[in-house]
Amino acid sequence: MSVADALGIDVGRLRESTDDLGRVAMVVAGIAFWGWLVTRWLYDWTLGRWGIGPGAGENVLSPAPFEQAAAALEGSVVALGPVRLPVDWLATLVDGVALAIDIAPALATGAWYTVVLTTVAIVLGFFIAVPMAVLRVYGGPFRWIALTYTELIRGTPLLAQLFVLYYTPYLALWLNDASVVGQGFVPDYAFWIAIIGFTINGSAYQAEYIRGALESVDEGQLTAARAIGLSKLEGIRHVVLPQTLRYAIPAWTNELVYLIKYSSLAGFITVPELYYRASRIASSTFEYTPIFTLLALVYLGIVLSATNLMDRVERRYAVPGIGQAEGRQQG
Amino acid sequence: MEGLVALTELAAALPTGQLLPVSEEQVGQYLGEDWEFVYRNSDYLLWGTVVTILLTLTSILLGFLAGFPAGAIEAYGSGYSRAFVRKFGVLLRGTPILVIMIFTYFVLPIEIVLDAAQFGLRSIEYVLGPTPFTVPTDVPDAFIAATIALGFRSAAYQSQIFRGALGSIDEGQMEAARSIGMSRLSAIRHVIVPQAMRRSVPGFQNEFTIVLKDTSIAFAIGLGELLKRSHDLFTQQTTAVLEVILFISLIYFVLTFGTNRTLDYVSNRFAIPGESS
Amino acid sequence: MSDRSKTTDGTVRERGADASESARGTEPLLRIEDVHKSYGDEEVLRGIDLEIDRGDVEVLVGPSGSGKSTLLRCLNRLTEVDSGHIYLGETEVTAPDTDPNAVRQQIGMVFQDINLFAHLTARKNVTLGLRKVRGLSAAEARQRADSELDRVGLADQADSYPAQLSGGQKQRVGIARALAMDPEVMLFDEPTSALDPELSNEVLEVMQGLVAEGMTMVVVTHEMRFARGGASEITFLADGEIVERGPPETLFENPEHERTKQFFESIRHE
Repeated sequence: MSVADALGIDVGRLRESTDDLGRVAMVVAGIAFWGWLVTRWLYDWTLGRWGIGPGAGENVLSPAPFEQAAAALEGSVVALGPVRLPVDWLATLVDGVALAIDIAPALATGAWYTVVLTTVAIVLGFFIAVPMAVLRVYGGPFRWIALTYTELIRGTPLLAQLFVLYYTPYLALWLNDASVVGQGFVPDYAFWIAIIGFTINGSAYQAEYIRGALESVDEGQLTAARAIGLSKLEGIRHVVLPQTLRYAIPAWTNELVYLIKYSSLAGFITVPELYYRASRIASSTFEYTPIFTLLALVYLGIVLSATNLMDRVERRYAVPGIGQAEGRQQG
Repeated sequence: MEGLVALTELAAALPTGQLLPVSEEQVGQYLGEDWEFVYRNSDYLLWGTVVTILLTLTSILLGFLAGFPAGAIEAYGSGYSRAFVRKFGVLLRGTPILVIMIFTYFVLPIEIVLDAAQFGLRSIEYVLGPTPFTVPTDVPDAFIAATIALGFRSAAYQSQIFRGALGSIDEGQMEAARSIGMSRLSAIRHVIVPQAMRRSVPGFQNEFTIVLKDTSIAFAIGLGELLKRSHDLFTQQTTAVLEVILFISLIYFVLTFGTNRTLDYVSNRFAIPGESS
Repeated sequence: MSDRSKTTDGTVRERGADASESARGTEPLLRIEDVHKSYGDEEVLRGIDLEIDRGDVEVLVGPSGSGKSTLLRCLNRLTEVDSGHIYLGETEVTAPDTDPNAVRQQIGMVFQDINLFAHLTARKNVTLGLRKVRGLSAAEARQRADSELDRVGLADQADSYPAQLSGGQKQRVGIARALAMDPEVMLFDEPTSALDPELSNEVLEVMQGLVAEGMTMVVVTHEMRFARGGASEITFLADGEIVERGPPETLFENPEHERTKQFFESIRHE
């Protein structure tokens, strides 16, 4: 007879409702997060440019009231005795909120670069990875091309690859010469270098994951496809790949999350994405803790949204008996 | 560890720039002055390699010491400890390593850890006094911060590897162990874990190479590992960027290749006879 | 085939046909009283009452889903009953303060999935329990393991790993592993269902040997030859209830209930 039983509380129900509460909280947080981002982006591109309101990149909300509240709390801390610690924390928290409001516009712009960089790189990388994987598994004497490609790229650090592309004069010059680059909406050449770098890097890893998924499709599938008259290529396209892609979803999600996180390295080649902006602010204000906590939360938000999205995709395209949703790592 | 000491002593004993039986001028003559530049500074880069290797080893070790219990808790635990491990793991896996490293270096009350580490190293040094081995007692802050960052992030991923491996062991193994009267803990220790460790090897191999490559991110906190040193060099002589990076890429490649083969060998050595991998 | 074996308190226990005439008297070894078990909404055991005497070979038959395996697992508490009692000799197995690990040392189990410890040799599969549960020394455990493996005819495979053995060999090691613990009763959960017919024979032979030695056994099986040849009682379960129970001749030739009749007819046509 546990305490819960004695009190007449149904623990199972209670846990369920806290789980539900947790889930609802996550959904609300997600909506709030993306709501803020999208509103900020749209505002910056449209109304901000046209001069309505405080302008692109400027705060809509003022951090001042929060800063005052924090100062007031901190002031009162001296007077209070035993309640000092929690009030102190509250003051820090409110201060953090003030800071968050202050740097939010900058972070939002950075987030845009992060999201675009990641999405473009992973999609382009995908279209390189699939042929690579097919070449590796079915390519006969040409398999070594795919093998070299993936081994070389996966065997060296991403940052080194970015440095090569950024500092080597040839690529930079060629891109800079293209007069479109750097004007108006078109981002600076560093951004394009980052896209190329991440695409290549991502494609090598994706090729490995897809290869693994390809190999887990039973050989008999292709045999049966050829037995009804499909060519090898058609068989791969219509029978093997649809199954492969389903098996590959968990690993692919993994790669997406990796790319989101490693996009932070683009900051080292001056791409103004999330990390770059946060560290610029931090090195001038020295408020490392709140800024980087906030930064971590923004990244976490993007990562969790991505895994959530891929969960839905997997369920949408799931066919009974193929692939599994279990055992996938978070992030 | 002894091999590493021998290696560093060997590296120190080599005269500067005389890695191969060719002279600097010959390299410059045949390959161009950029490669000559690389050759001239090769020992600087090789010391960077040593730092990289050491950082990888300490981080993986920390990752294992924290990650294995975490994985076991996630697989077998319940309640608050399990929830804590899961939430913390999500946090560590969902944040870029760069951010974690900056956080560890600039934000954490790192003095406590540094002091503890210094104390630990000094006591090891004391014990090792009469022997020919030494342990560095003057470890840079950045190294410790990088180890903590890489180590705990690796722990978050290693916990997933172990959790998966522990969970992949057929339920029947546990049943059979219990049916002869073993307690749950005893069964986990003698029946489940030995099998799970073997299944963890591929994931562990993967994790090792990831940590190895991510040591390059310690660049951001100024640690003198391989990438940072290469950056120092090629910003000096900007025409040599490609050559320098190719050289260090080769080093990284050799390291990852070597690690994978070694772990392959280890896994074959301990494989269960008769089972296909 | 029978030999003396030391139990942990050092007393010697005879094995063999005289075991059933020991001082225990005529108390049933295993008593199952009104056991109920549900999985969610489905009631899998609806009030099972059964008594098994020492030396008996009780064979449980019935269609799949009738609860036979569940009942077996309740006997050594791998599954907990919802209500009812199970007694092994003097001890109440189902009592909350009874240590299940202690009970499981007295009850041996052989699984349909065999479940040999994949990372250990045949010998080590047997010595693991002896060393870690019974606390025997390495030398004693090894000696005992070798004799058990010899008993099931696998002395020459002691150093082989499970992946190197055939299905029948693996199951025989499984039997040796259970026997090494000196159980009072052996439970067999469809021991040959996962094996090819040719490989089943070697396992059934070992089981018949145990019958001849007077081991108390509860066997869930579809192997009617074994049931006919070795069983002292056959219990027919369907839908979580005991429909009929009796000696093999009765159930096979002249069952009371229509349901029993139908079942055995359908078996005959397999």
